[in-house]
Amino acid sequence: MRGLRYAFALTATAVLPLAGQRPLTVTGIQSLTFGTLIPGIPTAVSRTDAGKSGRFDVGGPHDAQGQVTFTLPSVLTGPAGATLPLLFSGSDAGYSQSQNIGSQIGFDPRQPFLITFSGQGRGSVFLGGTAQPAPTQRAGSYTGTITLNLTAFP
Amino acid sequence: MYTASKAALATLVLALVATAAVRAQGVNGSISATATVQSPITVTGAQNLGFGNVFPGVAKTVAYSDATNSGQFSVTGQASTPVTYSFSLPTNLTSSGNNLPIGSWTGYLNTTNSTSGGSAITPSATPAGGTLSASGALYLFVGATVTPPVNLPAGSYTGTVTLTVSY
Repeated sequence: MRGLRYAFALTATAVLPLAGQRPLTVTGIQSLTFGTLIPGIPTAVSRTDAGKSGRFDVGGPHDAQGQVTFTLPSVLTGPAGATLPLLFSGSDAGYSQSQNIGSQIGFDPRQPFLITFSGQGRGSVFLGGTAQPAPTQRAGSYTGTITLNLTAFP
Repeated sequence: MYTASKAALATLVLALVATAAVRAQGVNGSISATATVQSPITVTGAQNLGFGNVFPGVAKTVAYSDATNSGQFSVTGQASTPVTYSFSLPTNLTSSGNNLPIGSWTGYLNTTNSTSGGSAITPSATPAGGTLSASGALYLFVGATVTPPVNLPAGSYTGTVTLTVSY
């Protein structure tokens, strides 16, 4: 019976840190904008481009760690279902604990990445990429959705 | 006691699993990715610049407004969009190694297929800018003067005029 009490005590201790902590949040702040493209000419947007890079703000327990993963589209979709290929490579994403676009740690957006929230429980994730219109790419507007998933490890 | 320990251990494992499930909390947010693709530019040589018969020692001019003999290009692309154009112009027409000088280039730029209502251009002073029409069209016309030397051998003389257009 003493063993049972010990087990319950351990469990209670493990759960308690969740109470009263800053909740996990992910907020889409800015779209990844490639602007006007010319057929046949790839266009890259840097994660440090303040006007065009995608941005998410994240929140969670201060100084705690979390894991971010992207759900990335392989194409943007345009007129009459036309598709525009997107490419994300090894250093197209960046994390800034200080939420400063000029102070990022680069990472591969195709892989999970471990982040540490700031002392205020904040951080920002920036994303660049490359759009690759074909020489015969149909003219028009193309869009896609990028999702950032955040899991916390208190 | 042994039974109680096993029960305690099982409870601990279950509790930790439950705790892990609680900890595996996740949230997500989304943004858009956007792009606008322009129509590709096409350039078509619509009509050759033709001088017809010329005679040694007698210069001959074809005006850009000559509907039959002027050189004509048609351009298509993104509607109402600025473009930059440039000409590559020969200094001679050639035939079997003989040269017939060509120069004094003139030109005209218009959003309709006409040499009125647009603007005169100087092909030799390009690159220059223009804007595609609301339907994505642009037309360029060129004329020039050939100056056959008095000793120019008879023959058929040709050269190439190239127009390059980009956004």
